[in-house]
Amino acid sequence: MLTKTITIGYGAVRQVKIGGDQPLAFIGGPCAIENRDHALKMASQIAAICDKLKVPWIYKSCYDKDCRSSPDSFHGLGVDEGLKILEEVRKEFGIPVSSDFSAADWAQATGEVCDLVQVPAYLCRQTNILRAAARTQRPVHLKKGQFMSPWNMKNSVRKIEYWGGQQILLTDRGTFFGYNMQVNDFRCFPIMMETGYPVCMDVSHSIQLPTSMGNASGGQREFIPYLARAAAACGINALFCEVHDDPANALSDGNTVMDIKYLERVLAQSKAFHELRLELLKQWGEDRVHLEN
Amino acid sequence: MSTLKIDLSVADVMMPIKDAPVAPGTAILKEILELMGKFRLGVVCITDRSGHLEGVFTDGDVRRLLLKEQKPFAALFNDDISVHITRKCTTITPESKLTEAVNIMGDKRIWDLPVVRTDGVLVGLLHLHPAVKTLLGLGKQVG
Repeated sequence: MLTKTITIGYGAVRQVKIGGDQPLAFIGGPCAIENRDHALKMASQIAAICDKLKVPWIYKSCYDKDCRSSPDSFHGLGVDEGLKILEEVRKEFGIPVSSDFSAADWAQATGEVCDLVQVPAYLCRQTNILRAAARTQRPVHLKKGQFMSPWNMKNSVRKIEYWGGQQILLTDRGTFFGYNMQVNDFRCFPIMMETGYPVCMDVSHSIQLPTSMGNASGGQREFIPYLARAAAACGINALFCEVHDDPANALSDGNTVMDIKYLERVLAQSKAFHELRLELLKQWGEDRVHLEN
Repeated sequence: MSTLKIDLSVADVMMPIKDAPVAPGTAILKEILELMGKFRLGVVCITDRSGHLEGVFTDGDVRRLLLKEQKPFAALFNDDISVHITRKCTTITPESKLTEAVNIMGDKRIWDLPVVRTDGVLVGLLHLHPAVKTLLGLGKQVG
């Protein structure tokens, strides 16, 4: 089904439209902002790939990683330094940027820089967080918690709308399947689309094996291309994938982040499936196959 | 022996809107079922923001829904009621004769009639029992 279209990007950056019959958008970057030079380097490499493929994109990297498995894990550069780097990436490349925020107090600062504010999956039903996200007046990227049913995401959407949010992107990043394991239920895309808002597949977190390595999460990134193609065929509006030029030494999510050398092939194929999906939608119409009254 | 009150109009007997089960289309099914229980009626009227009737959701709709939908109750409960309402429902105007309203309810085998002005605004709800009791001179006129 065709969703409403949301527009990401304020000021001088190139706006990215997500939803409706718009092209597949890409949201990605290293999981955490590691340092200024690395952030700029990664942005430059993603820009080259997305420009070549003509894929509209948003740079995503977080200044604080609050859901790490160990107190010794890299926690991030913090709000001030992290946002300063994101601001530089934004200006340098003229593209929208995004970060999540884990504390309601950080929302305003995040929204002052970021074009898209992200609500972490674990916090997707926390009223204080959703209110803070809505009050930034930026589009909100709402990730479906691994513990949430897709139909209950409507409650979180309603909370954001209640506080004035009108542009929301709903993302699947997997659903818990027993302990230390998650699966993707592709029914969640049409179900979340019933809210009217566009949907996104977070393909790198979807292959995560949560905290499967004792004090860290594992992941089976070999499945990323399969999930990306399947989600594009299913009808997503945006693809989310964390990428890194040296996953083995990434400071966050090293076991799930995809090596950037594979981004072009994953993105090109996802784009092709998305375009085919739009063509089929024009040819065959909406997927209404249920029984009439 | 009571005499038939055939001159009464619907407006004389209907529940005013403040006493009737009314909800917006964004109310979820679970809230609508609670409303039916609260009012002890088998119908909820669904209106838009300006009070125009969009449709009704009835006990019959609940039965049909349960037989038709295969999704989990947790999902069904969270559906916006606008997805499941009957939009082409039978209504009556407040000026109509009560006898006409009771006839319609008998013919269509329904228990309630939303009372709607000619501009589409819901102004009340007519339930069969008070309508008949009032016609028979047995009940207290309301509205």
